Amino acid sequence: MVRCTLKSLTSESLVKKLCTAALAVVAVAVSSQAISQSAGGTMVMIAQPEPPSLAPYLSTSGPIGLVAPKIYNGLLDYDLDLNPVPELAQSWEVSDDGLTVTFKLQEGVTWHDGEPFTSADVQFTIMEVLKQFHPRGPNSFREVSSIDTPDDTTAIFNLDNPAPYMMRALSAYESPIVPKHLLEGKDIREAELSGKPVGTGPFKFVEWKKGQYIRLDKNEDYWKEGLPLLDRIVARIIPDASTRTAAMESGEVHYGAFGAIPNIDVVRLRDLDDIGVTTDGYAMINPMALIEFDTTRAPFDNKALRQAISMSVDRQFLIDNIWFGYGKPATSAMTSNYEPLGLYKATENYPAAPDVEAANALLDEAGLEADADGVRATATIDLIPYGEDWRRLGEYMKQAMADIGVKLELRYEDVPTWLKRVYADYDFELNVNYFYQLPDPVIGVQRHYGTDQIRQGTPFVNSARYSNPQVDELLASGAMEVDAARRGEIYAELQDILAEDLPVVNLFEMEFLTVFNQKLKDHTVSAMGAYGSFDRAWIDD
Amino acid sequence: MSQAAQRSRYVLKRLLQAVPVVVAIVVVNFFLLQLAEGDAVDVLAGEAGSATPEYMAQLREKFGLDKPLLVQLGVYMKNMLTFDLGYSFRHDMPVAQLVLDRLMPTLLLMVSTITLAVGFGIVLGLIAASNLNKWRDNIISVFALVSYATPLFWVGLMMIVVFSLKLRWFPTSGMENVAMFYEGWDRVKDIAHHLVMPTLTLSLFYLALYTRLMRASMLEQASMDYVTTARAKGLTERRIVFVHILRNALLPVVTMAGVQVGSLIGGSVIVESVFAWPGLGMLAFEALFSRDLNLLLGIFLLSALLVVAINLVVDLLYSFLDPRIEVG
Repeated sequence: MVRCTLKSLTSESLVKKLCTAALAVVAVAVSSQAISQSAGGTMVMIAQPEPPSLAPYLSTSGPIGLVAPKIYNGLLDYDLDLNPVPELAQSWEVSDDGLTVTFKLQEGVTWHDGEPFTSADVQFTIMEVLKQFHPRGPNSFREVSSIDTPDDTTAIFNLDNPAPYMMRALSAYESPIVPKHLLEGKDIREAELSGKPVGTGPFKFVEWKKGQYIRLDKNEDYWKEGLPLLDRIVARIIPDASTRTAAMESGEVHYGAFGAIPNIDVVRLRDLDDIGVTTDGYAMINPMALIEFDTTRAPFDNKALRQAISMSVDRQFLIDNIWFGYGKPATSAMTSNYEPLGLYKATENYPAAPDVEAANALLDEAGLEADADGVRATATIDLIPYGEDWRRLGEYMKQAMADIGVKLELRYEDVPTWLKRVYADYDFELNVNYFYQLPDPVIGVQRHYGTDQIRQGTPFVNSARYSNPQVDELLASGAMEVDAARRGEIYAELQDILAEDLPVVNLFEMEFLTVFNQKLKDHTVSAMGAYGSFDRAWIDD
Repeated sequence: MSQAAQRSRYVLKRLLQAVPVVVAIVVVNFFLLQLAEGDAVDVLAGEAGSATPEYMAQLREKFGLDKPLLVQLGVYMKNMLTFDLGYSFRHDMPVAQLVLDRLMPTLLLMVSTITLAVGFGIVLGLIAASNLNKWRDNIISVFALVSYATPLFWVGLMMIVVFSLKLRWFPTSGMENVAMFYEGWDRVKDIAHHLVMPTLTLSLFYLALYTRLMRASMLEQASMDYVTTARAKGLTERRIVFVHILRNALLPVVTMAGVQVGSLIGGSVIVESVFAWPGLGMLAFEALFSRDLNLLLGIFLLSALLVVAINLVVDLLYSFLDPRIEVG
């Protein structure tokens, strides 16, 4: 392959002429590609922590999402404006009643082991794998009653009720299409595929050295003509955050997403010429920092207290001082990133600036009198054990809540202890956490508020044990509504109720950071960001 | 009885004595680990994002976590007898394979560190003792004090800043260059290149220890009667130091090295973490936080065996260094 870049063209020599001539040939041959792109090279990315497996069909664990979508394809991808674009499905059609979705699949696609990819793989993946074993699959595909495969390149989804949200859950990260011939007749959770993935994607799995790296090499038979551009992707495991920063600075790694480089270091790195930073590529994830309350017992069964907390938190202060300016104050139970879908509404009890006086007045009115020391209530606040930032947040809360007479003790445990306490034992009072709200409220928000989502022992669901028949009804009708305007109204009403009840107080919409070496190009080209396929990424040497 | 026969009898006796020690270590660790809240299933479910209670119960049944503690221990001991260390559910791999994969990098780091630390420690201690209270001694003593008092992670990070980022002499982290994937001799050179900074960092701390120990030990021996006798015999100072004093002064250093090899396995967690070195320390550390009990017990067992073996070697080394010490 000819390696000519714009950079090499500027140097004066015979090489320049040769390059120009060679480029002309290449340009004619691959006219669809921009001239400056060059194929080849290895991209090194950070995978932190080490993924527990490479089975995206069983687990939504973050580091799996970084690696697996390079190996597996989804039916669709999503551009930066969240519009679906073709992937394994070259076109699709939703019937007028919303009950049939027909996907026309790409032709000539093969699995990495050489077997042909057909509509049977799609049928098997959705019905036998994702709908049964994926953490969010049963929800995303709950209306899918069957899938017809009239021929090898057509898959027809038959739905019991319309499911508009499903069309946003078809990315390689959320719903990877997996090979039927390697899973059929086996125990899906036990199958060897989880450690040795075989997909249809741009890169093939080669080797996983535990504690060191995962190596993926270019899929020479990739069904997209001329892609991928990179020869290899290596995901490196580097446990120490300072070392990750140093490795980024020295050029040993090209790409680190999802806070792999801590914000405190990003502030320094972003000033370097060869390093870039972006907050793009997280619109399908929508992480929200929040506090969940045990609404079943005192003191937080009193909604006035929850409202007072929401009113007196200085959200902008948290963003500026703990997250170095990356984030956006929450204004509702749902993220403002739903706005393009018409599903977002700014609500009460999420003031732009904290109002301690009003909060105190509210508590007085509710009869929560302060004692001689000015204390109205005492409680222990649990903090998500995912790093120092959350401890700082806890320290802020302790200080800020003292102003409204809520005396907090901090508790920071390790991950298993914390998960068990909050989701299995319900042995907590208020808990700082963050949730992915994902591309649609049915997938990301519903699990936090539905009565049917009070599932003891299941992590990251309705631990507040909030139950409101009106909310359940709105959640159910919102999930099925095909008309966008009507759907917006349903969710607006829902957000108003949740702002009044506040079983969960949202703090701020988190902005994860992707840090990259400027040599690496076209890495964030879809809404999936780091969870994308990277088939168009290339290195400008 | 010949000395060789006596020695092998001694080794055999010590190995037999080691069996109850190792069993006790496994049992104690097993119960200690039970004190931690939450189990592997909680972690797996948390990482996966969500899981149904039925699935979690199914997992517990599969891992044998639903059985009474004593039964779990019994099963583990039974498997251990057949050298089956069990299965790591977090890594989805047999424990033995995981541990063996990490053993080479660990040994590489450990052996190079001990060699460097003991070797240079002895030399520096010797120089310091022979130049008591002169400038050489002062410099060495201050150096030892400073490197002993400096936290390891800070030394590691400073090494990275100076030698990787500023001077660009060494890679920041990892065990090999993952952009190149060298083969054969190039790979050996590449790994050696990556080994330099972790080894230097880790040995700096131990080097200080051995320097101080060697210096003190030399000074103590120098005041012994046999040294006066040797001097009275008219031996040269050189011969007195290298043949008489040095040999005796080495005994405490060897003892210390024997004890520390064990702690080096676990004590290198910080260095492994800072330099992303794929050793056992990091594996154990992560296993603890994911409640991967099988894996942790496997690592503990291996460390216990290693410590027992090294102590035996040290005891044999004693009798070699000082023939007056008899084995048996």
